[in-house]
Amino acid sequence: MIRSLRTLLGPAHTARLYRYLAWLVASAVLQGVAVALLVPILRALLANDLSTAMTWLAGLAALVVLTCIAHYQQAMKGFALALVVLTTLHDRLGQHLVSLPLGWFDSEKVGRLSRSATSGTLMVTGLFAHYLGPVVSGVVVPATVALTLFVFDWRLGLTAMLCAPLIYWTHRWSAAAIGSTDARVEAAATLAGNRVVEFARYQQVLRAFGRTQEGYRPLQDANQAQHQAGGSMLAHTFPKLLAGGLSVQLAFALLVGVGIALVVHSQIDAIELIALLALSARFVGPLAEAAARSGLLRMAGNDLEHLAGILREPPLAQPAVSRPLSAPGSLSFEHVSFAYPGGPTVLRDLSFQVPAHSMTAIVGASGSGKTTVTRLLMRFFDATEGSVKVGGVDVRELTNEALMAQLSLVMQDVYLFDDSLEANIRVGNPHASMEQVADAARLAGVDEIVARLPLGWNTPVGEGGAALSGGERQRVSLARALLKRAPIVLLDEATAALDPHNEAYVQTTIRTLMQSSTVLVIAHRLPTIMAADQILVLEEGRLIETGTHAQLLARNGRYAGFWHDRQRASGWRLKAQVQPC
Amino acid sequence: MTTALKTLKRPVNGLIRIGVLFAAVGALVNLLPFVALTELGRLLLAGDNALHSLWLWAALVVLSLSLGWMANGLALWLTHLADHRLQASLREAMVSKLGRVSLGWYNDTTSGAVRKVVQDDLEDLHHLVAHHAVELTAAIVTPLAGLAWLAWLNWRLALLAVLTLPIYTVAYALMMRGFGSKMQLLDKSMTRVSAAIVEFVHGIAVVKAFGQTGQAHRSYQHAVSQFGEQYAGWVRPLLRLEAFSSMALSVPVILLASLGVGSLLLAKGWITPLQLFAETLVAVFIPQSLLVINQSLTAQRTALAAAGRIETLLAVEELPVPKVCVQPQGSDITFERVQFGYDPEHPILTGVDLHCPAGSITALVGASGAGKSTLAKLVPRFHDVSAGRVMVGGADVREIDPRQLYRHVGFVLQDAQLVHGSVADNLRLGRPNASEQEMQAAAESARIHQRILALPRGYQSVIGEDAIFSGGEAQRLSIARTLLTDTPVLILDEATSHADPESEAQIQDALSVLAQGRTVLVIAHRLASIRGVDQIVVLDRGRVVERGRHEQLLEANGAYARLWRASAETTAPNLEVSL
Repeated sequence: MIRSLRTLLGPAHTARLYRYLAWLVASAVLQGVAVALLVPILRALLANDLSTAMTWLAGLAALVVLTCIAHYQQAMKGFALALVVLTTLHDRLGQHLVSLPLGWFDSEKVGRLSRSATSGTLMVTGLFAHYLGPVVSGVVVPATVALTLFVFDWRLGLTAMLCAPLIYWTHRWSAAAIGSTDARVEAAATLAGNRVVEFARYQQVLRAFGRTQEGYRPLQDANQAQHQAGGSMLAHTFPKLLAGGLSVQLAFALLVGVGIALVVHSQIDAIELIALLALSARFVGPLAEAAARSGLLRMAGNDLEHLAGILREPPLAQPAVSRPLSAPGSLSFEHVSFAYPGGPTVLRDLSFQVPAHSMTAIVGASGSGKTTVTRLLMRFFDATEGSVKVGGVDVRELTNEALMAQLSLVMQDVYLFDDSLEANIRVGNPHASMEQVADAARLAGVDEIVARLPLGWNTPVGEGGAALSGGERQRVSLARALLKRAPIVLLDEATAALDPHNEAYVQTTIRTLMQSSTVLVIAHRLPTIMAADQILVLEEGRLIETGTHAQLLARNGRYAGFWHDRQRASGWRLKAQVQPC
Repeated sequence: MTTALKTLKRPVNGLIRIGVLFAAVGALVNLLPFVALTELGRLLLAGDNALHSLWLWAALVVLSLSLGWMANGLALWLTHLADHRLQASLREAMVSKLGRVSLGWYNDTTSGAVRKVVQDDLEDLHHLVAHHAVELTAAIVTPLAGLAWLAWLNWRLALLAVLTLPIYTVAYALMMRGFGSKMQLLDKSMTRVSAAIVEFVHGIAVVKAFGQTGQAHRSYQHAVSQFGEQYAGWVRPLLRLEAFSSMALSVPVILLASLGVGSLLLAKGWITPLQLFAETLVAVFIPQSLLVINQSLTAQRTALAAAGRIETLLAVEELPVPKVCVQPQGSDITFERVQFGYDPEHPILTGVDLHCPAGSITALVGASGAGKSTLAKLVPRFHDVSAGRVMVGGADVREIDPRQLYRHVGFVLQDAQLVHGSVADNLRLGRPNASEQEMQAAAESARIHQRILALPRGYQSVIGEDAIFSGGEAQRLSIARTLLTDTPVLILDEATSHADPESEAQIQDALSVLAQGRTVLVIAHRLASIRGVDQIVVLDRGRVVERGRHEQLLEANGAYARLWRASAETTAPNLEVSL
């Protein structure tokens, strides 16, 4: 847990964390010692010896002052750490997320992220501010009390000491059992949650196929699994929790028993025992109190582990300083092989060069690895073997900023942020002037959308750009790239919405970008392919042909075959079924 | 808590009440050890070493401790059971609601918000049902009963036990000033953080591509720093007060107050030493209860907010279910004076009349925003019309049993929307009981069978794990799925993205099989694909402006002819021209 707390706070605050924990322990030890003074004071009072009692009370008063100082210190230090979490954790989380490989975001772990980042953060804040203190004193105070029992009577001290491992092991045992069922319940809950979100997201198709009427099996199964996991947790953890608590009661029973036996055999006097029983009650009291809060602590602990787990995910390593570019504007693959984590090999020993200020088109059947090429260039993933170079330097030797300054991307799945149209274009360059934004928008055909929408530039585009059509989203993405004007542009033409209108804008944009940048395009349209200085033909992750359009046609190989296919079927057609009468 | 939640909670209320009863009993039993210890002290002080009465009281201490613990455990177990049952019924109710609301509702509701309600809010509700009542009962009953016992022994003891409480109470009241409005403010910024992180994750490729200076990262940073500052700004001035006032509840301070003041009372002869002993036992117990009450109330506020959101979801209006069901006769589609808009201010369809004869193909064309998709989506009843009616086989879709409607009307969506699960699960979506042969036959007709066999686990491969399909392949899969459902009426939303040439040729073949003998309404994005259909309908701003066959419409030289000419300009040049 301390390791996770350290991860969460970051290296800059490790020393503060330990200072806080030290004060926390000190405060608990002082509490234990102060409680131990119950014995001499009660003993004196029961013996009607008021003056001795007053002396001890003065001692207690002094100790209380010290305890209060320690209490104040640990409280303020805990609050300070809570504020650190509150003000820095989100930021560190964001920075870290950006540095993770893109593959991480496909996993189902992402489902918990939003909760972890919101209420999870607050729970962890509460850990420092409220929950950790009682738990630490719940353990340290009884331990201190047990030690002080030795001072008063070694036999009672010994009894308490012998009970400690018993209590410890039963708690460990029940905590382990609860932890593992907890994890199962949690996993089932996450799965069910993901199914529900899928259910909501795919409503159209699920309704079209009657699943909302007749039941959608995967969701029903996930809910059933969650219900069962919860049920088995109830059945299994309850006896263990009871046992955990009973071991504490048993310890107290032993103390009372041993005490009475000592009195009966005249080993200690009655007054001494009464005083010691009061102290023994404080041996078990804090333990029970800590147990009462274990629910909240467990919840906070889960949230802590989630957050720390995310922060511990290894990022794509990047150097502190970039190596200077040796050939700005150029790209190359040198014997690159790549497989997605846990998947089959997608690229095999791929080598090619794209000189600065040229245009290269990649063609190939679906699944041939075209999109993967752009992902490796963007360093969304690292090559399994070989070297991917941008500007003459291996992408792993560039900082993220340096790499992204070189590249601009028009992607296949265009994501727009739930913000205004203008803000979405400005993603390309936040510092651009309004004139530049308008210019890019005009070239990419966004000005048309602006003119049509009620709020113009300020029209919100909805979550993921839902308020715009596919073609319109594509144009916004083009405008982004135009605004960024990076030395190298990667363009996935597959996004190009088919309506002729959009098509024209894609062509204009490519022409404009070619004037200033190196262009690598995953091409489907003939004009684009024919305009390329170089065409790369991919098949199953291998480069099988390269050359210009004319060269490749003359070779009469795979590319020529492709070309003829394209001539045969450019889009599907539906024909009349009813003959006109 | 309002109606829907209350109704769902009714079956488990009994469990909760029994739980609370056990909690109260447990709390009372928990007090017995103090009484027994005091009696034990009395015996010992009296020098009465009669063994069996000593052991009797000692046994009572242990027994009552154990019984108290078990009663409390049982109480929590009962309320957890109640929570477990309630969660299941709530989840079921929410899912059923999600499947019955108008699809328009999803336009204003992000998937992040759905997740929050179905997952996080249910979890927050857990505290309210499983912990709140039991913990609060125990935290109130034990100290009150303890104080009552002390007062019974000697009224001064009860006052002595709560000596330091006023300090904390006053400080607490100071700290909680304006709590409600502050919480509301924080709740709002929290929602913004939640939305920002969902965006951040979904748009991560864009965030990465445009570097850390990008807008997404900024709006995330803005949301989180605003939240952090608001919260910190609120609590920062209170911290010192809290650190000081919480001392009043610490055990050493309470002991000092009890024993110090107690000694004075002893000196006056107002109390006995043994009474003071009893008082210290109870006094150190009280602050703990206060903290539990405090935390429980905070958690209750969160839970009530969550309950409110669940309530809101359950109260969303559903598409009405027909009282008397009509069977569709035949497979023609008729739109009669159809009007529709998500809100009355912005109508999307303004009076559409259209007939699609059985077995014919009708294409909807028009600029983006003309209402093509909206019109088509009225047929499977994704929305209900605001005026007019949509009929399939002569029956108003609102009067067809929803379970019949989907067997009658199929839909091939623009994006294939493959669900998480095996390829077979996806194919069988509309007909879970289809045989292996039927499924494979559909896949073969849709030209996707060979591709599926090439996957590592064939039809059992899981989408997104070992089955990754290109856009064109996903389209064929979605065609196969529709073929298997075998509906006489078909809505087809043409995909806007390019597939590679091989794939396109295969999609062509698959669609030709699919369209055969069915009534097809196609939302067309490129005119070349539909020039041969039976009827072309041109929509403009929610109205039909032209209809007819391709040649007729070109001759008419109206809106369609303009669209056709615009598309011809950008159509790819053919081989002869380019060489």
